[in-house]
Amino acid sequence: MPTMLVTGANRGIGFEFVRQYAAEGWTVHAGVRNPAANSALRALGLERLSIHQLDVDNHDQIKALAAGLEGQPIDLLINNAGLWAGDDEKYGRFSDDQWMTQFKTHVFGTMAMCEAFVDNVGASDKKLMVNISSGNGSLGLAVGIGDYPYDTTKAALNMVGWGLAVRLKDRGITVTSMTPGNVATDMSGPGADLTPEESIAGMRRVIKGLDMSHSGAFMRYNGDIAPW
Amino acid sequence: MTKTVLITGASRGVGLEFSRQYAADGWRVHACCRDPQGAAALSEALAGHDGVVHALDVAERQSIDGLKDELGGEALDVLINNAGVSGGGHQTFGDMDYDAWADTMRVNAFGPCRVSEVLVDNVAVGNAGTIVNISSQMASLTECDEGDEFIYRSSKTALNMVSVNLAHDLGPRGITVLAFHPGWVRTDMGGPEAPITAQESVTALRASIAATSHADNGRFLNYDGTPLLW
Repeated sequence: MPTMLVTGANRGIGFEFVRQYAAEGWTVHAGVRNPAANSALRALGLERLSIHQLDVDNHDQIKALAAGLEGQPIDLLINNAGLWAGDDEKYGRFSDDQWMTQFKTHVFGTMAMCEAFVDNVGASDKKLMVNISSGNGSLGLAVGIGDYPYDTTKAALNMVGWGLAVRLKDRGITVTSMTPGNVATDMSGPGADLTPEESIAGMRRVIKGLDMSHSGAFMRYNGDIAPW
Repeated sequence: MTKTVLITGASRGVGLEFSRQYAADGWRVHACCRDPQGAAALSEALAGHDGVVHALDVAERQSIDGLKDELGGEALDVLINNAGVSGGGHQTFGDMDYDAWADTMRVNAFGPCRVSEVLVDNVAVGNAGTIVNISSQMASLTECDEGDEFIYRSSKTALNMVSVNLAHDLGPRGITVLAFHPGWVRTDMGGPEAPITAQESVTALRASIAATSHADNGRFLNYDGTPLLW
């Protein structure tokens, strides 16, 4: 069975990716900021689940995990760790520090993960990198306009995904940006219209069908192409 | 009536040429750069014209607030967020300079956003003006066909999203926000192989800016005024 590594696995979308891929029999590496606090992940009681301390803002931790997993093929890397500050992201209300925090997690963290694990992914059968973006990152869609830190960092993440797709093509690695939909999680709140189960089931179907022809694409959880 | 423009990054390249052309055309010019003492070419371009040079580091909030103090309530017809950096020599996969990436975001994306926020009343007063963000076609996800220069590209894509958001939030005050690609310009940043001069770029940009209206709020345009894809 294949192997996957997902960041931000302690809750929400990351947690559900772990649950569903593990249920399918995959070997799962779950990156979480605080492993001790992850009773929900541990409570899953999964044999093929490894929980790793991983704050993607901390590039030394990323390198340490990469050293620990050296030589192990990883079929699917999901860069999921992210944050959103709600109404505190509106015009005139967000600080530079808050903004930079999101660049570090959404953009720099994703790039650092891809740099650190490119050999693991390149050595696998599926060779997939999926970046969890957002409709908020679309310049053409009128979704979530006005959340400055979140919108700008997800747009920048999409550009990074595009560049990675071009840069890693020769290695046969597919890099895709995905929008999970408006999912009811701790982060997005209760106004959402999708459960994590539905969103992740949809994304898993899409991921199952990914090949090089989708590298550089921006896709919704249901397989539709999202506009830049 | 005299029109007024404020330009960031005015000591060289496209910003210097904006200052020169607007001043020569009779506009009042607020030309901002990090080191006015070292901006001899700018002083020369403004000599004999209605021009004021201000010290401004767009990555420093205190510096922007200082500029606001100097401007007071003076109306700006056009605010040109031009100051930008290239991101340095380590921005390819496997050789990323993350500190340079953060610094570049502060100048290329945070800077235009913060300058616009702090000077918004100057732009909104009277006949509401235009905010021009100097972006790049390299920010376009549709046109992207290279896997390099991650820092520069992502910072300008982020800037485009700043433009979209500012257009949304400031549009109701009558302000028009535009993102412009200046062309590949023969400047210190563009290099000697670039096909057009700063003079050609800015001549076209000024005509395009003058030709826009509030109906263009939020658009991404080439220097010749033709629309670009995100």
